[in-house]
Amino acid sequence: MYIRYRNLESETMATLKIPSPLRTYTAGEAVVEVEGATVAQAMESLVAQHPDLRQHLFNGHGELRPFVNLYLNNEDIRHLDKLATPIQQDDRLMIVPSIAGGISQVDHSAIRVNQAMIIGLSMIAFVLDLPWLVALVAFVMVAGTILKVPGFGFVYRIVLKPLNLVKPVILDDNPEPHRFAQGFGAVVLTIGAVALVIGTGLLGWGLVWLVIALAALNLFVGFCVGCAVYYWLARLEIPGFVKSPPQETFPGMRPKAKV
Amino acid sequence: MILEITQGILERIHAQGELAYPEEGAGLLLGDISENRRRVLDVLTLPNVREDSARHNRYQLSPQDYLKGEEQAERLGMDVLGVFHSHPEHPNQPSEFDRQWAWPNFSYIITNVIKGKAIQSRSWRLTEARSNFIEEKIEIVESAKD
Repeated sequence: MYIRYRNLESETMATLKIPSPLRTYTAGEAVVEVEGATVAQAMESLVAQHPDLRQHLFNGHGELRPFVNLYLNNEDIRHLDKLATPIQQDDRLMIVPSIAGGISQVDHSAIRVNQAMIIGLSMIAFVLDLPWLVALVAFVMVAGTILKVPGFGFVYRIVLKPLNLVKPVILDDNPEPHRFAQGFGAVVLTIGAVALVIGTGLLGWGLVWLVIALAALNLFVGFCVGCAVYYWLARLEIPGFVKSPPQETFPGMRPKAKV
Repeated sequence: MILEITQGILERIHAQGELAYPEEGAGLLLGDISENRRRVLDVLTLPNVREDSARHNRYQLSPQDYLKGEEQAERLGMDVLGVFHSHPEHPNQPSEFDRQWAWPNFSYIITNVIKGKAIQSRSWRLTEARSNFIEEKIEIVESAKD
């Protein structure tokens, strides 16, 4: 049944050790015979024999999932030639699970203060016709994105939280989509600031109002459009977009689970 | 599905959570699986290999330590049933990060450790679609015998 994976010149056979959690998919077998000239072909031979294994080992692009380690004769293939590593007759391959976990948390108060500052300052800039203020807000958002923190988070951290004016709201959430959302807003606002400087006011203020609307949607409704885009890109398995929405949470919505 | 465990083994898991506090402590659950029952017969406490600054909210076992667990289970005629870890100052529910790194068919015992004291353990299993965890009842049994 897996003839198409057979290397016609040399039918290299190797053994592949299956860890406990995956033996359900190999009818309880701890060792499976595989064939192929490279680790990739051997893995194809494995999933051809036991198709249910595929989703646990590979993502949609056929890349190994990050928590799957593959060892060839006790050496991690990441230190060899990865999936292209050639295998010899009677080599021993082994799948070793990465065991990891812990607490993931995002302080949504910092994010919401950031949004409130972006909305407030952008509206002041519009009312008083201050393109430099738009540029300043865009700069803070770019800096925040680079430093991986909410740009105006310092207002919360240094003033509002110590004075107990805003209490922390720690939620079980991924920080990456929020960074992406801020970066997206920073790019739109930067283009807006440039448009205002070169005199295309309609486009410039239009973009400023787009950022205000998206930040307000997040602040008041709890829906983060940038996060939704992030999760959508992750679903398409675009490299760099690896996180999936928290359990029982619509992609982009503020999670309910407190930690 | 029910996860059977003795009070003695549960106490060892709690002791490890308290010992590692305020960092996360972890290890492997060894045991056997029959039709509708999973029994924890032994635990292997293992070092948290995450860097110093991350150990308060992350744990990771080295691949070599995991293999040690598989070898020990094999020697004892058991399986690696799952993983236990502690959540210092946090609820004993799996986090988003736990889900992203979870393996199917494993029991994940999580113990909340508050102010240095292990409070309670709950066990969780990842669904086949990897979308969420469902709770697995822990049953305290007298002894690990049949």
